[in-house]
Amino acid sequence: MKSRTRIPTTPLLMILPSFLLAMSIIGYPILDLAWTSMQEVSRFGKMMGFIGLANFAEVFRDPLFYSSLVRTLIWTVAVVGGTLIMSLPIAIMLNDDFHGRGLARVIVMLPWAISLTMTAVLWRWSLNGRAGLINATLMDFHIITEPIEWLATAPLAFTVEILVGILVSIPFTTTIFLGGLSSLPQDSYEAAVVDGAKPWELFRYITLPLMKPFINIAIVLNVIYVFNSLPIIWVMTEGGPANGTDILVTYLYKLAFRFGQLGKASAISLIMFFVLFVFTIAYVLMVMRQEHDSTAEEVKNDA
Amino acid sequence: MTPKLKKSLLYWLLLSPLCVVILLPFGVMFVTALRPRDELFVYPPTWTFSEFRWENFVEMWVKTNFGGALLNSLYVSVTSTIIAIVLSIPAAYALSRYRFSGKGLYRNFLLMTQMMSPIVLVLGLFRLMVHLNLVNSLNSLVVTYVAFNMAFTIWMLQSYFNTIPRELEEASWIDGATSFTSLVKIFLPLAVPAMVVTAIFTFINSWNEFVLALTLIRSQNDYTLPVQIFSQVAGRYQVEWHHVMAATVLATVPVAIVFSWLQRYLIRGMALGAVK
Repeated sequence: MKSRTRIPTTPLLMILPSFLLAMSIIGYPILDLAWTSMQEVSRFGKMMGFIGLANFAEVFRDPLFYSSLVRTLIWTVAVVGGTLIMSLPIAIMLNDDFHGRGLARVIVMLPWAISLTMTAVLWRWSLNGRAGLINATLMDFHIITEPIEWLATAPLAFTVEILVGILVSIPFTTTIFLGGLSSLPQDSYEAAVVDGAKPWELFRYITLPLMKPFINIAIVLNVIYVFNSLPIIWVMTEGGPANGTDILVTYLYKLAFRFGQLGKASAISLIMFFVLFVFTIAYVLMVMRQEHDSTAEEVKNDA
Repeated sequence: MTPKLKKSLLYWLLLSPLCVVILLPFGVMFVTALRPRDELFVYPPTWTFSEFRWENFVEMWVKTNFGGALLNSLYVSVTSTIIAIVLSIPAAYALSRYRFSGKGLYRNFLLMTQMMSPIVLVLGLFRLMVHLNLVNSLNSLVVTYVAFNMAFTIWMLQSYFNTIPRELEEASWIDGATSFTSLVKIFLPLAVPAMVVTAIFTFINSWNEFVLALTLIRSQNDYTLPVQIFSQVAGRYQVEWHHVMAATVLATVPVAIVFSWLQRYLIRGMALGAVK
């Protein structure tokens, strides 16, 4: 019988096509951005010569960069925090058996099925100050007397965008938590119930600690996704009014494709890339540690 | 009242605010898509309207080139899904069945590519496509969607491949089959359900993608659905909201139904160790 390990080139050939494609589509643009960020670039994308770190210096002098940066932090922390606080109880409920659970799962997961662009278009129209049906509903219930212009002032528009951001992040996060909950050992719950533990104590001392790895992964993945999310803000307000809802990605997009400041846009892309890189390393380390733990557990169980 | 019924009522009570907020914009979508144009801007705004105007859909289809955008979206999503699956099967199989040096490195590389979002690279990608003369070509989207989806497809396929017992292939090797025939005749047929599920999620991802389509496609005839609908809302003095909502109904409802039907596989995929 042939030994499979004698031909180690086979698996390498099998991964080669996907590796090459990823390198050229994801790896090459990073190098190109690094190169462009150190060039003086004309409005039409022509390279005018090497200028070192001048583009970065310009970015760090730009007040709009700082206000977008601060707003990116608020956006990321608020959306990820809100999503986690909502998703864990939802996942615990959806993991439990109750009447109509199938329907509840479908509704909670629904925003995931719809493109963020479409969701944002729907909200932009629903929140329309003059004809929006959100205003109509709130007026019908006498919660407000006058229609509200939700998207006309930056602070209110940004708050609304954060809430929509939370809404669309819940399905993915809940899915991670459901995966985690279904892997929890049932016997520890039974033992605790026998010992007279109350539901809150079960949550606090069993569910929460055992769910910790899944919560960590949900935090890191959501931070990465939310930090990078363009469609909601772009479709609802395009970063306006008066750059008042710009986060880094919308500001970057404007610089690159509206104002033609390619050098500066490349510099911001690169800065964002490094932030993302740090989070990615954190994620990879976390996944590796968890894998390590679960193999250690398997070894222990085998013994 | 049985304890289960009590619990169900409590859970639905707790979940209902969220469900209302999720469903509300879809309600808005349907009532706007079906109302006559002159009832869009009435004051005070109301949910009710005088008649179901199904012609809105026909009008929208003709006026906004919806059919063209639909075909573009279908072409891009189908092609990129097929290529992504074809490239991912060998990679997932290698990760699932072989021990080789660089395996851990390759998995981490995949994780990293998954973290890289199109928006951070969009300027570099745009310049790459200019060099390749692919700007304005739907194939630029196909290539990038394949690359950005591949980590997900490999990861999903691998987690299902791991559940297919090795013994089946080993038995066929003993019967004298080469590893290639055992792969094609024994393994792949067993993996069909996993491939279908993965393919559908890849399709939905490509179908919904916005940033790259907005950037790499410049001519109106080549717009995919999200960009086409966005272009009817953004930077217009007068937005034909009943057309926009009719287009949104057609673009989202079929995908939402398929997704709702398949979402349990995604949860199972996560439980099978996709998160690990």
